[in-house]
Amino acid sequence: MENATIPISNFQLAFTVLLVLITGGISSFLKLGLLRPLIWGTIRTFIQLVLVGYALTYIFNINNLFLIIAVVTLMCYIASKTAVERTPNVPTYTTVLAFASLLASTFLVGSIVTVLIIAPEPWYSARIVIPIFGMILGNAMNGIAVSLDRLYSEARSGAALIEAMLTFGATPWEAIQASVREAVRAGMTPTINSLMVVGLVSLPGMMTGQILSGADPREAVRYQIVVMLMISAAVAIGCIILVGLSYKKLFTRDGALQQSIRQSKEGAL
Amino acid sequence: MHFQFKDITYTLGFGQSRQVTVSGSIAAGEVLVVRGYSGSGKSTLLRILARLQPCDGGEAYLEGKSWLQIPGAVWRADVHYLAQKPALFDGTVAGNLAKPFETRLLSKKGLNPDQARAYMKKLLLGEDLWEQDARTLSGGEAARLAFVRALLIDPKVMLLDEPAAALDEESRRALHLTLSQWLEGPSRAALLVTHNNDYEGLHRVSFLDIGKQQRGE
Repeated sequence: MENATIPISNFQLAFTVLLVLITGGISSFLKLGLLRPLIWGTIRTFIQLVLVGYALTYIFNINNLFLIIAVVTLMCYIASKTAVERTPNVPTYTTVLAFASLLASTFLVGSIVTVLIIAPEPWYSARIVIPIFGMILGNAMNGIAVSLDRLYSEARSGAALIEAMLTFGATPWEAIQASVREAVRAGMTPTINSLMVVGLVSLPGMMTGQILSGADPREAVRYQIVVMLMISAAVAIGCIILVGLSYKKLFTRDGALQQSIRQSKEGAL
Repeated sequence: MHFQFKDITYTLGFGQSRQVTVSGSIAAGEVLVVRGYSGSGKSTLLRILARLQPCDGGEAYLEGKSWLQIPGAVWRADVHYLAQKPALFDGTVAGNLAKPFETRLLSKKGLNPDQARAYMKKLLLGEDLWEQDARTLSGGEAARLAFVRALLIDPKVMLLDEPAAALDEESRRALHLTLSQWLEGPSRAALLVTHNNDYEGLHRVSFLDIGKQQRGE
C-alpha cells in the first residue's frame, strides 16, 4: 500500500501525557475527584492495550483455528458477565443465558461475514476474525443488556396485567408477549437508529481506523456497511435468544408469575 | 361437590410468619363468603386457589377432579380470579372485553358482543362507553368492567376479591344481582372475599371464617 500507516513512535506517544494533563487539570480545577480514577485509568489503558497488542500479534502469527475459537469464547464469556452485571435486579443464572445468546449470535453472524462476505485466505484468518467478532460482540452485549433490563422492568411494572392474562387461561408466553416485544424492541432500537445517522453525525471507529491506516475511503465504506448490517443482525439474534430463554424464568413450573417479580414491584414503589 | 379445597396451607407475613390452613367446599349455584380480619390471608387464599401462587400444602378439586390433574392454564380460566384492583389493558372498553379471547384456550369461545352489551347494561355501564379508552374510566366503572369481563369468560368458579369495594350503593346492588343471576346457570359457583359483610342480594350464601378456623385449631 502506498500510503500506509504513519507509525507513532514511543517519543510521540509520550506526548499523550499532555492530553492527560488537560483532563487532569479540568478535574482538579473543578474538584471533581476524578484525578485518581483518571491516573489509574490511564495506566490501565496503557498496560491493557499494550498487552492486547502483543497478544494479538501472537495470535495472528500462530493463526490456529482452535486458539481463535477459544479467544472468541472467552470474549463472549466476559461480555455476558458484563451485560448481566450492568443490569441490576436480575438473577445471577442469567449470565449463563446471556453467554448462550452471545455465543450463538456472534458465531452465526461472524461466520456469515468472514466465510461468505470477506472470505479471507484461510477463512479463519485471525486478523479478520478477531476484530470482526469483537465488534459484533461489543454491540450485541449492549443490545442484550438493554433488552434484559427492559424485560424485567416491563414484567415488574406489568405484573398485574400479566396475571390478568393468566386468569384468562393464557400460557406464560401469551401472558408476557407484550413485555417480550418491548424488550426486544428496546434492545434493537439503538442499532437501527445508528443505521440512519451513520456517516452523517460521526464516522464509525472502524472506518476511521481504516482511513487513518491509509485505506481508500471508498473501501473503508464498504467494510463499514458490512459491519453495520452484521451488528444489527447480531443484536437482533442476541436479544431474541436471550429474551426467549429468560422469559420462562419469570414463571413457576405451574405457569404462574414468580412471586419475586410481583412483589419486587410493590417494594420498588 | 362443585368446588372443594382441603387443608390449603400457606404462610403469611415475612417477619413473624404464621401458617394458615383452610378447607372449604361450595355446591353449584352457591356463594362462599370468605370472612376474616384484614391481613388474615383472604386474598392469598383466593390467589392460591386460582393457582397464581404456590402453597405449602393441600389440594383443590373442581367437579371432583384434583388440580394436580388439570393443566395450570385450563384451571386458571375455569377457576377465574378477579383481582381487587381491576387490571385494564391499554385500549378501548371493547378491546378489554375481547382480551380474554385472544388466548388460545378461549379463542374458540370468542367474544359475544350482544352478551357483553347486555352485561354492561346490567352493571349500569352506558352503551357510550364501548369505544371509550379504558384508562379514562373511574374506579367504580373499571371494577364493573373487569367484572363484566369475568362474566364473559363464564368460568366454573369465580374468585372475587372485594368486587364491590369501589362501588356506590346502586352499582353494588347491580353487581350482586347480576352475580346471583349468573350463579343460576349450570355448574357455577363463587368465592367472595368481603370486608364489611357485603353480600346483600345474594342467595344461597355460606360462610368461611379464616381467622376463627385457624384459632380453633
